[in-house]
Amino acid sequence: MFNEKLELKDFEKQDPEYQDLLRRVLAIQADCEIGGPNLYVKDILPNAPTKVDQLIVARTAAEEMDHYRKMAKCAGDIGVDVSYVLSWPNQKRYVEAFRGQITTWEDFAVFGFLIDRVGRYQLEEFIGASYQPLARIVEDPQVIREEEGHIDFGTNKAAEFAAKGGEAKERIQGAVDRWYAKGLDMFGRSESKRSERYMYWGLKRRTNGEARRQYTEEVNGLLKQMGLQIPDPNKGRLYT
Amino acid sequence: MEAAPNTEALDEQFKEFIQALQSAVSRAMPHVKDDPKIVDKAIEDCKEILDVVMEGNVSEWFK
Repeated sequence: MFNEKLELKDFEKQDPEYQDLLRRVLAIQADCEIGGPNLYVKDILPNAPTKVDQLIVARTAAEEMDHYRKMAKCAGDIGVDVSYVLSWPNQKRYVEAFRGQITTWEDFAVFGFLIDRVGRYQLEEFIGASYQPLARIVEDPQVIREEEGHIDFGTNKAAEFAAKGGEAKERIQGAVDRWYAKGLDMFGRSESKRSERYMYWGLKRRTNGEARRQYTEEVNGLLKQMGLQIPDPNKGRLYT
Repeated sequence: MEAAPNTEALDEQFKEFIQALQSAVSRAMPHVKDDPKIVDKAIEDCKEILDVVMEGNVSEWFK
C-alpha cells in the first residue's frame, strides 16, 4: 500500500498509474458536480412550487458549482483542463445518472435524497487521500456540509410527499423507482480492478461494493421509515 | 508542473458566478413574505447567471 502524502510539487515524480488515476478521478468528480445543476436548473428553477423553493434551487446550483470549481482548480493545477465538461450535453456525462433531465419536483427531491447521497459517499472517499490538495477540498467541512444540506432537503421533501399518501405518495414512489438503480450504479462495478488500484494508491478508502453496501443499508432504512417500497436492487442496473 | 491553460481564469470566473448567485439568494430570502419585487428580481438574476453557466461557452467568458 502507498502511504505517502503528496503535494502538487510531488505529482510529476509519481508513478504514471498514480498520475492517470488522479487525472481520471478529478475529471469525473468535476463532471458530476456540474452535472447536477445541468439536470435540474432548466426546468426546476422556473417551475419550483414556491419562490423559496426557487431560491433553494439556485443556492443548491451555486454550491455544486463551487464544488466543481474546487475540483477543476485541483485538476487544472496538474495540467488537466476540465472546462470541456461545461459545454457537454447531458447525454455525454461520465456517469449515467447525469445523462437525462429532471422535469418534476418529485424527481428533484429524490435526486437530493438518493443521488446527492451517493455524491457524499464519493466525496468521503477522498478524506485522508494521498494527494493532499484533493484531501483538503473534502476535509474542509464546508463541502460535506453543503452536500448534507442538499441531501436533507431532498430527504425531507421525499418524506413529506410520502406522508401525504395517495397520489403524492405514488408520485414520490415513482421517482424513487426511477433513481434507485441509477444511485446503486454510480458506485461502479463491485469487482472493479481500477477501484482496487485507487485504494492501493491511497486515492479512495472503500471498494465500490463496500461503499454500495453501506449506501444501500442507509437508503433502505430511510425508505422503510417513509413507508415507501424498496425497489428491486437488480432491476434496471448497468453494474453489479 | 505546468497548470492547464485558463486554470486561474476559470477559477476566478466561477468565483464571480457563485458570489453573484449567493448574493442574489441572500438578498431575497429575508423578503420572501414581504417584498415580492425583490424576490422576483433575485430569481431573475439567478436565472440569467445560471443560463450562462449551463450554456458553458467558456471561450466567450475569457474574451
